[in-house]
Amino acid sequence: MTFFNVIRWIVWKDLVIELRSRETMSSMVFFALIVIFIFSFSFSMDQQAAREVIAGIIWVAFAFTGIIGLGKSFSTELQNDCLEALQMVPESKGAIYLGKVVANFLFIFVVEILLFPMFVIFFNLDVVEEISILLLIFFLATVGLSAVGTLFSALTVQIRAREVMLPILLLPMVIPVMIAAVEATKGALNGDPLTMYSQWLELLAIFDVIFTVVSFWLFEFVMDN
Amino acid sequence: MIIHRVIRKVQRFQGWFGSGAALCLIAGLYIGLVDSPPDYYQGEVVRIMYVHVPLAHTSLFAYIVLSVGSMWYLWKRDPIVDNMCHAVAALGAIFTTLALATGMIWGKPTWNTWWTWDARLTSYSVMLLILISYLMLRTFIDDHEKEARYAAVLAILGLVDLPIIHFSVEWWRTLHQPQSFSMRGVSMSSEILIPLMCMSIGMSLLFSYMLMVRTQLLYLDRLLHAKKGRLLSQFHMSQSDS
Amino acid sequence: MTAIFCHDLSKSYGHYQVLDGISLTIQEGECFALFGPNGAGKTTLLKILATLLRPSEGHYEILGLDGLKEKEAIRANIMFLAHGAHLYDDLNAKENLEFALALRGLSPTQHEIKLALDRVTIGAFAEMKVRNYSAGMKKRLALAKAMLVKPKVLLLDEPFAALDTAGTEIMREYIRERLSEHSAVLMSTHDREKARPISSRAGMLRQGTLQEISIEALHSDDLF
Repeated sequence: MTFFNVIRWIVWKDLVIELRSRETMSSMVFFALIVIFIFSFSFSMDQQAAREVIAGIIWVAFAFTGIIGLGKSFSTELQNDCLEALQMVPESKGAIYLGKVVANFLFIFVVEILLFPMFVIFFNLDVVEEISILLLIFFLATVGLSAVGTLFSALTVQIRAREVMLPILLLPMVIPVMIAAVEATKGALNGDPLTMYSQWLELLAIFDVIFTVVSFWLFEFVMDN
Repeated sequence: MIIHRVIRKVQRFQGWFGSGAALCLIAGLYIGLVDSPPDYYQGEVVRIMYVHVPLAHTSLFAYIVLSVGSMWYLWKRDPIVDNMCHAVAALGAIFTTLALATGMIWGKPTWNTWWTWDARLTSYSVMLLILISYLMLRTFIDDHEKEARYAAVLAILGLVDLPIIHFSVEWWRTLHQPQSFSMRGVSMSSEILIPLMCMSIGMSLLFSYMLMVRTQLLYLDRLLHAKKGRLLSQFHMSQSDS
Repeated sequence: MTAIFCHDLSKSYGHYQVLDGISLTIQEGECFALFGPNGAGKTTLLKILATLLRPSEGHYEILGLDGLKEKEAIRANIMFLAHGAHLYDDLNAKENLEFALALRGLSPTQHEIKLALDRVTIGAFAEMKVRNYSAGMKKRLALAKAMLVKPKVLLLDEPFAALDTAGTEIMREYIRERLSEHSAVLMSTHDREKARPISSRAGMLRQGTLQEISIEALHSDDLF
């Protein structure tokens, strides 16, 4: 019972702080807008060329935006040494992990939904029919990103050079998420039948399950000596 | 202490590993480079296989040792196991780099390209990335205990990730590139198998020998620093007293 | 009964040995004051006993529970008032208390929270964001948290720092209350004038080694 209570309170705390300070999500949205601008300047392309690369651009932008949010997730715990209080929770650390994953997932997912219309506008995409499948892809990939990212956020916040180490450790680990998300997004934007790219959705789901379980277990060793 | 007895035992055996490695490698290199005939399809180029394949196997073996050691460390918290993991990671990074380099040299004449995003190549290069970030991570932590713990977490996560990366790249490639590069034409006749076995055994022995020496070195280094720290604080104390 | 027991604790960071063979036993109802110059390892020792750091060597027990194997059980029974106040700047006092206690599995009533805040005399600022608090007010809020927990072992890192005279008296009164309920208290401090009225034992930590000193010695200047 305490376990679920701790999850609930962690999510509540992160959401309330975010609603009041708006630090994480505003910096994520603004950063992502800049990325979109730079991409659309770097590739001056027609709609056909855009279809080829847009899925990659979307996920590069989302991954880097996600890293900003994930980094903030535990660096806010450094104020007044709050991290120590989390480490001293008598309950297993897994509850804190799950709470943080849920909060991080919500931040990144909401930012993705805010940003996607920008891609549609700037790259002139046609997405009306595929919107539900795109949302499913965003959901699955973001779960995977937050599952691994939350673990590494907690780890890097306790070492030197943390801003550099978070992407260095996280990005190689989420290569499967990136490949699967890009391929599935490409399929959906092309209007391919679902069976042609459903294997990538399965891969995302498998990755999500495996890495949530493994990170849940390893989080204990990141937070506790 | 029991650990010192174990180390003395290892010291007695490690010489055998070293000389065994030298023997196997010299024999393997002689048979492979001089004695065996060139391959029917690939000609003399095939001889790099005798170095490349054992290197690749040994680096995979190194990663498995690293992840088993990391799990063992998290379970038992034995500092010398962490020294072993640290040694394995550094050696593994070197062996993986050499395996990738020899693979590229082999790939140029046979596949006509230095590099291709093949599943095996990709997962080996990601393995190298993880090993390098592992070694970087260790330098960014002051507390030995925390350093060992975080390094182990990273190694275990990498162990889970590498097969998934392998499979996802394999899927991805079947979509984008035809499977034109294969190990075509390398039939495993005994002429090839004998030097290859010699080199594989020799490389594993060499790796184990280096691992033993390096682990002891790191262990002694840690003891030395503990001693040095103690002496330094005693020195400061005697200074502040006088 | 023994509340804190440690034997031959050592801790090193990189090449620097912070603690070198600390042995200490504190009984229930005792208040041990830990003195020592900056960098002597006072905070490190407190963090080890608060289960936040693993010692390089040696072992310790809190309330008879093994410090390396039974950390979760220890944490439920101790309170560590650290240098940082463990408060979120964007939450108000009430929310901070509710959150911190919920993590420990406690859910105090609004009345209990109000009483604790009144006792540390910040009841009027209960709805104010902690961002706008002064250092002393943060310290008082952290103390209010400890009041709601009622720990069996109380670890205090510089409890009187940032507190004014009234705040110091509230802190001492709380420590006395805990002692009368047979809790053990271990505090690090620089201020022997403030620590003397409540300490039953004292020790001097220097270059990583601990030397017990008599309470009478706190009156003389030789040691400091």
